[in-house]
Amino acid sequence: MNLVLRRVAAMLPALIGVVVCIFVLTRVLPGDPARTLAGDQADPSVVAKIRTDMGLDQPLHLQLVRYFTDLLHGNLGFAWHTGHSVASDFASRLPATVELALVALLIALLAGIPLGVISATRRDRPVDHAGRVFSLLGASMPLFWLGLMVIVVFYNKLGWAPAPLGRVAEGINPPTGITGLYLVDSLLTGDFVAFRSALSHIIWPALCLATGSTAIIARMTRSAMLEVIGQDYVRTAVSKGLKPSVVTLKHALRNAAPVIVTISGLQFGQLMGGAVITETVFTWPGIGSYVVQSVLATDYAPVQAFTLVAAVVYLAANLVVDLVNARLDPRIADA
Amino acid sequence: MKRTVLALAAAAALAVSGCAANANSNSNSGAEDAGDTLVAAYSEGGKTLDPAEANDVTSDTFVVAAYDQLVTYARTEDGGKPKAKTDQIVPMLAESWKASANNTSYTFKLRADAKFQDGAPVTADAVVKSFDHIKASSSASFLYKMAGIAKVTKVDEQNVKIDLTAPNHLFLQILPMYSFSIIDMDKVAQNGGPKWLATNTAGSGPYKITKWDPSTEAAMARNDSYWGDKPKLRQVNVKFIAEASNRVQLLKKGEVGLALEVPPKDVQSLKAADGVTIDSRAGNKILFFAMNNQIKPFDDPRIRQAVSYAIPYDKLLNDVMKGQASPMKSSVASSTPGFSDAGYTYSHDLDKARALLAQAGLPQGFSFDFTLGSGFDDWNDDAVLIQAELAKIGVKMNIKKMARPQFLEALETKKVQSYITRWTSFVNDPGYHLGLLLTSQGSSNYANFSDPVVDKAWQQASTEPDVAKRNKLYDAAQQEINTKAPWAYLYEYNIVVAHRAGLDGYTSYPDGIVRFFQLSVTK
Repeated sequence: MNLVLRRVAAMLPALIGVVVCIFVLTRVLPGDPARTLAGDQADPSVVAKIRTDMGLDQPLHLQLVRYFTDLLHGNLGFAWHTGHSVASDFASRLPATVELALVALLIALLAGIPLGVISATRRDRPVDHAGRVFSLLGASMPLFWLGLMVIVVFYNKLGWAPAPLGRVAEGINPPTGITGLYLVDSLLTGDFVAFRSALSHIIWPALCLATGSTAIIARMTRSAMLEVIGQDYVRTAVSKGLKPSVVTLKHALRNAAPVIVTISGLQFGQLMGGAVITETVFTWPGIGSYVVQSVLATDYAPVQAFTLVAAVVYLAANLVVDLVNARLDPRIADA
Repeated sequence: MKRTVLALAAAAALAVSGCAANANSNSNSGAEDAGDTLVAAYSEGGKTLDPAEANDVTSDTFVVAAYDQLVTYARTEDGGKPKAKTDQIVPMLAESWKASANNTSYTFKLRADAKFQDGAPVTADAVVKSFDHIKASSSASFLYKMAGIAKVTKVDEQNVKIDLTAPNHLFLQILPMYSFSIIDMDKVAQNGGPKWLATNTAGSGPYKITKWDPSTEAAMARNDSYWGDKPKLRQVNVKFIAEASNRVQLLKKGEVGLALEVPPKDVQSLKAADGVTIDSRAGNKILFFAMNNQIKPFDDPRIRQAVSYAIPYDKLLNDVMKGQASPMKSSVASSTPGFSDAGYTYSHDLDKARALLAQAGLPQGFSFDFTLGSGFDDWNDDAVLIQAELAKIGVKMNIKKMARPQFLEALETKKVQSYITRWTSFVNDPGYHLGLLLTSQGSSNYANFSDPVVDKAWQQASTEPDVAKRNKLYDAAQQEINTKAPWAYLYEYNIVVAHRAGLDGYTSYPDGIVRFFQLSVTK
């Protein structure tokens, strides 16, 4: 418990720093949101009026103070380009992004860890080489290109994937909302029509999103495993006559786990960022596509809120990593 | 640990038993006939539903679906395909109108049967309050000014009188615009004021906006108690798909019935696709290469003319736009009533360009800065091709790229040396077009063109009630502009709408807005 408090306290300055940085950056960069909102045929008096309405004519430090005051009251601001409060926009979109990132993380873990373990135990054999090539490709492929290719091949040519138009097919009602995660909600309500549709819709963007993380998790697992496999106690375990699978999974993998957990936690943060691109390509109704729209419309508040949420997710992922590692290896908790 | 698992299992069991009727337990859900439903693919989700604040194609589309205006544009046929006739104004919510003898006052008589979507009648009060809303708005207030409206008064329940500051032929041209929609302002007041209109509608139009989420999709349902012709499509879903290639693929597969903003390079492949119809017709959106008339050497008309002779017009039309554009021969689009290409002599002729440079005392050429705004692929290609041609006559064009918001801000300083930009005249009239772009006072005259001949002709035309006399004045202004060449004209964009075969009734309007109530699907 002490550890949790200590970590949360350490997070606060980082969060404040992030908020101030992004606040100043969005405003210092050229590009006038009032002009964007007014359209390019409006005359300057109209633009000036909008600027006043938005409070953009105030000095920067006063705007910042007002922003922090709002933030402390739980007010994330107003999204000019949607006409809703940022909080309500986020509430309706965040579950879609979280679901996508979670499914992608699940895929990355289920594929990456075994791939890494196999590569390590069959070092320099064909499987290892294949894994290396996959990792290289997976880590270096641009996400938007991969997404477009998946759509061209699996939707357009082969017809395996559904139309990239949201979370369930046209004409199917979204499951009754409980958690906002369609896969979970549809199972909870026994709605298998929605479950099947939601699964077929999420699997393609999730696969794309997971590719880079799978590659990195596989590589890190491999190197962590190799380090452990060379240790004396592993040799001892082998010489005791334990089955190879027991040695690999119980002795080696268990001791390589902290590294794998750490890298997976960081990957979750990466996945939230990658969602911005994947969501735009697949028309996924999450906060990623929303923040892209906001950037294009020079709409400050949603961009700031997204940065804040991303920072919180990143820090929270770090915290979870620390807690899990402390459990795996009590020595870490004292460090 | 065990306890948590048990609790979770219990919760799950409860949830399953408690929700026997789930969201899809009706077996016929989603089985509605597709014949009266249309799915459309747009690139952007719009910014507002408030008629007086809307100024992008998507927002405007929802406004014309949910609202009516006092009057509207007539329709005509062009090669068997319906198109708008913007210089002929026909009744909508107003069944008739009368102008005073000196053309400074108009009285509109409202239809007796017109109702807002929730049943309240469309009254003279609603019209007066709607005009107040437009006047107080950020976006449309300048149109209100441009229409020259002095006062809007209720004569009786069914009649409204609009007084103008002076005779103004733009007035009747501006009234059919989406900005001048008639709003149920009493309903707006009940809901806390005009801000409510940004995400809600209170109109009398043919469709109700049932969902609007700018980053994903919107939905409209037919207003079954519409006072006018009943729309054929019961339901229109609009998907916002930023990626152009996705819009093209979805249309090819029949997943969507209509797609906008199809890139020119995809038009050919779509034409060859089964069951897809491309409707590509001249609009009034123009693209021009502006040279700042107050920054050397572009202060010399001969230099600007030389640039106009160096533009590789055919390459731009055929290689960049793949034929989805047509030559531009005046500062005003050729489909705008009153267009004239008098004085336009330019073609791709490098010898003439060199001669003009020599006359202007710059036979060796010169170097200048060109600012390229982001967001449109064709601008990028155009700039590179023009750069290569100019290099042949010794002119060095330094391309500086800028993100769109920065670009718009830079233009406003009126200090950008040269740039290309597009323009759609929402009011399809040279008075609007030239007034904003090429008169000394024009708020979008970012190239600082200032010419007494043009200013005077425009001023006289703005209060001239006779069409023939007015067009003569516009003719003189255009001839002067064509000769002085403040811009090199690049092309006029076609309005390209790609749709599935069997979609009928699509009418091309210069504003590029699809009126869904005119469409029907036959299969």
